[in-house]
Amino acid sequence: MKFRKENPEESGAGTRDDMRELVEAIGLYRSAMRHVAEKQAGRPFAPVAQRASGFRLRMVLVPALGAALAAAVITPTVVHMHHPATTASRVSPAAQVPGTATTVAKMDDTQLMDQIDSDLTEGVPDALQPLTGWDDTANKATKTAGTEK
Amino acid sequence: MEEIATTPAGVLAGAPGAGNELAIEKKEQAVLELADFDEVVRVYRPRILRFLLSSLTDRDAAETLTQECFLKAWNARHQFRGDSSLSTWLTRIAVNLMRDHLRSRSLRFWQKTKGTALDVMDISDWIPDGRSSPENAALARDQVAGMWKAVDQLSAQQRSVFVLRFVEEMELDEIAETIGMNLSTVKSHLYRALAILRERMGGKR
Repeated sequence: MKFRKENPEESGAGTRDDMRELVEAIGLYRSAMRHVAEKQAGRPFAPVAQRASGFRLRMVLVPALGAALAAAVITPTVVHMHHPATTASRVSPAAQVPGTATTVAKMDDTQLMDQIDSDLTEGVPDALQPLTGWDDTANKATKTAGTEK
Repeated sequence: MEEIATTPAGVLAGAPGAGNELAIEKKEQAVLELADFDEVVRVYRPRILRFLLSSLTDRDAAETLTQECFLKAWNARHQFRGDSSLSTWLTRIAVNLMRDHLRSRSLRFWQKTKGTALDVMDISDWIPDGRSSPENAALARDQVAGMWKAVDQLSAQQRSVFVLRFVEEMELDEIAETIGMNLSTVKSHLYRALAILRERMGGKR
């Protein structure tokens, strides 16, 4: 098997070719850039208002659009959090204690879970409520048993 | 914009020695050149615009900064003492404006949304010299497009130095003066820029 030895002359020629191509590309690039700039410079300076509609207006509109989108996402969440049903139970003495934002956020989450738990408990039908008058019921049952005897 | 008194008192007067006469004359010419500002705009606008277009690849930004460049030059015309050529002075203003532009965090963030970025279509009517056949012209446009992308990926400093050297054809010491860098730093940026371009252009084959 014959291995082809790297020929320094060929390598040098490759380098020269690379350089020649780069020089040619740079020349073409310069020529093209001059063409573009001359074409652009042939136009009069655009009035400020017209420029605003392009470059600066874009700089205003794009962030504004982002802010509007963020508001559209955040607002329903905030409205939900401030709903009267949830607010009443969330505002507890613990939440009114001044603290860091993180603490408040954690408390809110906990309170929200408590609120959900409370709502679910209240929603249980009467028939399934825990027996409140256990003693009375027990006495009645005892009496009934005694009468039957 | 005519009838501007542009020769600052004390700049031209009191030149010590005859050896400085030539330098003073050049300064005087540069200052007088600034007197007809309409002519200054007419002559130098393509050059400033070309530099900014090549560096920013955003037509609106380049146009805006070109306009600001001449506005700043107009406002600061009394401070121009002719120590450098008018071209260097204007280019320095453009470089500073571009630096501020690129430093702006919001602009840097929104740079990716360049709506008026130049693309290959802008050179569709460009006819390269000595390439009359459509095939050769298309090949040249491909080369320019590749070069365009490669230049766009250079760092801001590398791009500025590259554009000033190879598009504006400025001397290295003039670039150093314009950008406010050491000559060795300019050489270093240029060397790296060329190495990157060579690698990227070579990798396309």
